Amino acid sequence: MASTSGLRTTLSKMAASLTGLLKPWTPRVLLVRWSRYNPYYLEPEPRKEVYHIPETELTPEQKEERELKSVRPIKAATNSVTSSVFNDPVLSKFVNMMMKDGDKIIAKGIITQTLENMKRKQVEKYHKAPEGKKAEIECNPYAIFHQALENCKPVIGLASIQKGGKFYQVPIPLTDNRRRFLAMKWMITECRDNKHRRTLMYEKLSQELLAAFSKEGNVVKRKHELHKMAESNRAYAHYRWW
Amino acid sequence: MAMQGGTALQEKVSRMLSRKHKKPVLKPNKPLVLKDEVANRKIKKGEATCVTEMSMMMACWKQNNFVDTLCSNEMQSFYTCVEKAQIAVKNKSEQHTIGQSGRLQPKQATILLKRYPNLHVEI
Repeated sequence: MASTSGLRTTLSKMAASLTGLLKPWTPRVLLVRWSRYNPYYLEPEPRKEVYHIPETELTPEQKEERELKSVRPIKAATNSVTSSVFNDPVLSKFVNMMMKDGDKIIAKGIITQTLENMKRKQVEKYHKAPEGKKAEIECNPYAIFHQALENCKPVIGLASIQKGGKFYQVPIPLTDNRRRFLAMKWMITECRDNKHRRTLMYEKLSQELLAAFSKEGNVVKRKHELHKMAESNRAYAHYRWW
Repeated sequence: MAMQGGTALQEKVSRMLSRKHKKPVLKPNKPLVLKDEVANRKIKKGEATCVTEMSMMMACWKQNNFVDTLCSNEMQSFYTCVEKAQIAVKNKSEQHTIGQSGRLQPKQATILLKRYPNLHVEI
């Protein structure tokens, strides 16, 4: 019956939009690049290595994926995605979070200065260190940045849940995106608020990142305080329903 | 068969509205017309997942004064538990939306009813 089959396709579009089980669709009007796409569109692949694999060495799944890509439309890649070796999604996200009023040039400049500053400090430490300790000092600023961010990420968070008229702070597990966001947010707010009037942002940020790399500093302290709050409220853990 | 059921229902309603015998059972202030939608069913409130893993991790923290490196095993098990719980929730919601088990979901019923709504204007 026409109505039920039509209903099923509407519902399949609603429910299975993310699993990609849609019926074939072509746009009636040519799309300009936007951020909202029909779920039928596939994600672009910016990495160069994927395209350099010769035909013979492809696994069957990769072959299938290539065939699918030749039929399905693909979303336009955003400006921030590049195929260069220096493209780092975590760093890009950090730059975007630090950006004010859309001024990406200043934010990117601050980050570059921060990385350079970190490298200088670490190289100075390296040259001053005795022979035995030289191997332990990390000089790669990108590695320091990633490790520092990892050290700042909280493990559980608190949610305000209402039960019996009162609101309780209940410990809840956090998604990876939320944890990364919290770590970055804490880092940026810490560097904006708790600094001397004359210190520049990149200077303070490099200090904080190096401290977080060695698990000291205010951001890691804030993470520990959140853990302590969650631990003290562990009795309310059963107020969660998911 | 539907028409017979329909008239029987209307007779019962008119009996309930009538003032012939005693006080009327129904005193409607709005017309007795069904809406073009079905109310959403409340999903059963689940339980808190991964509470044991969380409490083990917190006990480890308490012992080691919140140093993360010494509690890495408990933290790893907590993360695996959380991932499994998320996948389970996703599967369950998918199963609910796709497999109805003989009965229409409230959202689907609403879509159908909205396609053939009650006529409130004479055509």
